[in-house]
Amino acid sequence: MQLREAMWVALDTLWSHKLRSFLTLLGIIVSIWTLVAVVSLVQGVNQYVGQKIARLGSNIVSVNQFSLEEMTDQKQFREAQKRNKPITLAEYEYLRDHLRLARLAAASEQRTSGTNLKAGNHSMTDVTVIGATANSIEVSNWDVLAGRFLSSNDETRGNPVAFIGADLANQLFPGVNPIGQTITVDGHDFQVVGQASAQGNVFGQSQDSFVDIPLDIYRSMYGTQDSVGVQVLAPSAVLLPAVTDEVEMEMRSVRHLKYEDKDTFGLIGADSLMTLWHQLTGVIAGVMVGVAMVFLVVGGIVIMNIMLAAVTERTREIGIRKALGARRRDILSQFLVEAAVLSAVGGILGVGLAYGFTLLAGAVTPLPFSLPWLAVLAALVLATVVGVFFGIYPAQKAAKLDPITALRAEA
Amino acid sequence: MTPTPAPLATSAPSMAEPPQTQADVVIQTVDLWKIYQMGTEQVAALRGVSLQIRRNEYVAIMGPSGSGKSTLMNLIGCLDSPSKGQYWLNHQAVSEMDDDALAHVRNHEIGFVFQTFNLLARATALHNVELPLIYAGVPAAQRAERALDALKKVDLVDRRTHRPNELSGGQRQRVAIARALINNPSILLADEPTGNLDSTTSNDIMALMDKLWTLGNTIVLVTHEPDISEFAHRVIYIRDGMVARDEPTKRGLALRQSRPEPPCN
Repeated sequence: MQLREAMWVALDTLWSHKLRSFLTLLGIIVSIWTLVAVVSLVQGVNQYVGQKIARLGSNIVSVNQFSLEEMTDQKQFREAQKRNKPITLAEYEYLRDHLRLARLAAASEQRTSGTNLKAGNHSMTDVTVIGATANSIEVSNWDVLAGRFLSSNDETRGNPVAFIGADLANQLFPGVNPIGQTITVDGHDFQVVGQASAQGNVFGQSQDSFVDIPLDIYRSMYGTQDSVGVQVLAPSAVLLPAVTDEVEMEMRSVRHLKYEDKDTFGLIGADSLMTLWHQLTGVIAGVMVGVAMVFLVVGGIVIMNIMLAAVTERTREIGIRKALGARRRDILSQFLVEAAVLSAVGGILGVGLAYGFTLLAGAVTPLPFSLPWLAVLAALVLATVVGVFFGIYPAQKAAKLDPITALRAEA
Repeated sequence: MTPTPAPLATSAPSMAEPPQTQADVVIQTVDLWKIYQMGTEQVAALRGVSLQIRRNEYVAIMGPSGSGKSTLMNLIGCLDSPSKGQYWLNHQAVSEMDDDALAHVRNHEIGFVFQTFNLLARATALHNVELPLIYAGVPAAQRAERALDALKKVDLVDRRTHRPNELSGGQRQRVAIARALINNPSILLADEPTGNLDSTTSNDIMALMDKLWTLGNTIVLVTHEPDISEFAHRVIYIRDGMVARDEPTKRGLALRQSRPEPPCN
């Protein structure tokens, strides 16, 4: 039978049973919706995180007590806990003085919970307090809005100065220029010398609630036990692998590690962060796609059910068509096309809903959402294939009907 | 090297050609049996029916219910295969055919007209008439043209966009007749075509049948109404699965006198 006739019958049937068709298609609609929305979501979030990580610097490698792998794998972490030692200030100074390929090495420590800040009669808690070297501005994404960052002069003289984020400027110094004002950080007074421009939120977490103070003063306030975070800046992203190798070599040499010893520290670059992130979103996407597949199978079974009902309902029609010369394969293809059209329509509705979802999500979140066309295409093909697959049994049942029995059926 | 046998010798000799082939015989059955298995019992609905129908004959098949009349019609209409015996339709041995070949024969050789019209409810008159052409693989443009021609023959061109529920019973049956004729079939097989119609409409339909006969169609009418069978020229009575009588009607006799033709049996 000609495809056009089959499509015509399929669409006509679909339209004449609008509610039933819609209910039948819910499974397919929801699964395709989920599928396309999840792919879109993961793509959007990846793009967003990629941008954020890129802002952190694609030419920075940080030296930490643990590597990302060690931090994300329990077994590795347990081993690393026995082996790895905190990065000391002396090691930072060694790196600073010995690295040749790198442009600079900056050190910082930070804490957030339990911190207490005051200025006049305003106060804030749980602000991220960062002890930083003066060159930290080079490896950070802070832009100086007013005043200046900490200077090497401050470092050598031990000046109690602070560089504050936008939230602090707003909440501790409302309506006042904060530059030159005094701020009390956990009982120690600092003079504000600069203010950063606002950066907004990442996943609802404010990026503007911080204060930078000189690292030496920080260590005198909070102790010298914690690992120092070291950021090494490569001259360019291309040279980052070479700089990473150099950092590893110098760290191993300062820690007197033997050839066969494992690293007792971890190096984290922008690329390894991105890899970790992709692993994480991959798992989420995998779970969601799995759920969507379950929906899809359920949707397929519902389609099979409704097609079986259609075969019973339209037995007379099948008899008429057979009497007029339809062969088995004509009837078979008619019902297969019908199942395929039904599920493809479900797929299209699902994609439509997913599109609406991306528009909505794009409007209310900072994530750059877009409809991934490859996923749309794949989803539509998938929906149609499911329809055809679950349509095979009802279609075969229809094709096998005896014309005489079929003609006698109640209309 | 042995001589190659003639191709015909490989097939069953009895099936190669119908006995006493006459060029104008459209339907020929020889000892046609149909046996149904009802549980453990075998019921013979047809017990050896042999008959010939020639081109442009107008035949009525009559019989009470349970006589095997419907079974015979199903066999003649190629909707079913005989348990035993042979059936040639237009010189093709249809009793030997598989499902797909039978579908092809139904499409090309037989035009069905049913008591309940059997039109597709959601299709327009024109589309209903087009249906057999779809299965014949006729291109769309040509289909519409031919369907329109067929509707012209039954005077329903102005109703072509109407659906069955927007048509009267007589109009529906005329649509069905147009559909039956669309592929220029060898026989028009009408099963109680007036069974669902009032007497005026019945007469209209039978007048149309007459007209179709004049145009050269072969008509096989299955009915249990003597009034209706009188429109035919020959009537075959079926009783207990066998041909009880096979005789010309009054019209048939009158026709024979006015237009002498050799008798078919």
